[in-house]
Amino acid sequence: MLRLAVILFVVTIGIPLTPAWAAPDGKALYDAYCSTCHQSHGRGGIGLPLSESTLANVSDDYLRKTIRVGRPGRIMPAFEELSDAQLAAIVTYIRSWYEVPGQQFDTAPIIADAAHGKVVYEAHCAKCHGNDGSGEGPGTGVTLSRERSFMIMPAAINNPGFLAAAPDSMIRHTILTGRKGSDMPSFRGRLSDAEVDDVVAYVRSFARPLPEDTAAAEVAERPAHVVESPYDFQTTLDNVHQALVGANFRLFPDRFLEEGLVDEFSHNTRQVSIRFCNFKQLYNMLNIEPRLGVVLPCTITVLERPDGQVLLVAPDMSAIAHWFNNDELEQLGATMDQSIVNILEEATL
Amino acid sequence: MNRYRRYLAGLAVALSLMAGQVAAQNMLMVRTSEKFETTMAILQQTLAEYGYAVAHVQRCDGGMADFGYKSDFYRVVFFAKVDEVRRLSAKYPELVPYLPLKILLFAEKDETVLVALNPLELARRYPTRELQVQFKRWHSDIDAILQEVRKAHPPAPSG
Repeated sequence: MLRLAVILFVVTIGIPLTPAWAAPDGKALYDAYCSTCHQSHGRGGIGLPLSESTLANVSDDYLRKTIRVGRPGRIMPAFEELSDAQLAAIVTYIRSWYEVPGQQFDTAPIIADAAHGKVVYEAHCAKCHGNDGSGEGPGTGVTLSRERSFMIMPAAINNPGFLAAAPDSMIRHTILTGRKGSDMPSFRGRLSDAEVDDVVAYVRSFARPLPEDTAAAEVAERPAHVVESPYDFQTTLDNVHQALVGANFRLFPDRFLEEGLVDEFSHNTRQVSIRFCNFKQLYNMLNIEPRLGVVLPCTITVLERPDGQVLLVAPDMSAIAHWFNNDELEQLGATMDQSIVNILEEATL
Repeated sequence: MNRYRRYLAGLAVALSLMAGQVAAQNMLMVRTSEKFETTMAILQQTLAEYGYAVAHVQRCDGGMADFGYKSDFYRVVFFAKVDEVRRLSAKYPELVPYLPLKILLFAEKDETVLVALNPLELARRYPTRELQVQFKRWHSDIDAILQEVRKAHPPAPSG
């Protein structure tokens, strides 16, 4: 038995060490980490398409850095847990789809007139990429927000992940060649070399540091509101219903917390989830974050504890919104959360 | 014999806690090459095999369609083990918004994407040993369930 325990220990501890001596399988890694968003063969979905023309105009180093640092605030996560060898294997696998090799870019910075670049940028680039380089209009490249016929949204060229991955010479190359399959045109012949360099210098001025890991700060952040009600259970339920209707939410039938998990005679009837929705708000939020369903529908649960204390519990939508790596959702999440806090206050006034 | 069992149990908990320290993605996500209805059936069957009861399925797209909004097929599956719901809701009411557990399914053309909140995200915020073990178990189960659904119908081959 001791021998079995030792073997189990060695085998179990050894599992995470496997990548250190085994050649990583790029396809398996892509399937596990990338295909959910980018689809098989990079056809695109939640994530942008990894088309032949896109891959032909970026370097392997750009791809590796993009996977490593992600796109803060734009859904694409940072895969810090992958080793350099695993990143290289994924890139090699992605490259195997087409016979076009990646570009090699000089990493030296382009020194130019960023002030003049701003003028040129606003005349030629801002229409799609926005004055601040954040990309045009709502949406972060996700499924429901993107027209199917327009597969690639204007890139957020102010994103610290993009600027950390793309050297100046790659930005220059993109301006000169454009991007097939998107609305990004070639500016070769339309802008002088000096003007292109000025635009590159201006785009580089968008750079800001990559966000630090906020894990420590978030530890204290409990993603729920818990409020004690001064009223009895039924009165509290009625108050929440009334407050929600007054705030123009649509109510769904209440559910016991245990409903569906046990037979109808065994529910704890002093745990009731009040479910509600504002469809317009929901639709707007889904347009910028299709994964929002993992926290839907909005609920306020009224609990009566054995000592008679009545609690109202609701998710903290502002805290939850942080988990999606989607800046636009965070704004709406804060608004939604304030609505819920108002309901809780009104119901317990 | 009991000594070895205790050792193995201790080892399992230690490994669980060690694994909880590993940087994790906020969402657990997989894609299948199957259409929505088939994926939904496989998911519900797999949840049952792991001992979870499906509490209900929320049809978000239906409600939105009533109001004139268009969306892809979009459903949320609520599932749990009732003893866990009872124990946790009594002791940790702040976890109630996350009970039952949820897996979201939505269609992308002929494929289906499944998404769940990674329970390790909650683990970072509730450092008690009891909850660390609970969240790690949920993570392990949900990850395994999603992988089984994915392997039943993996994404279409490249090319």
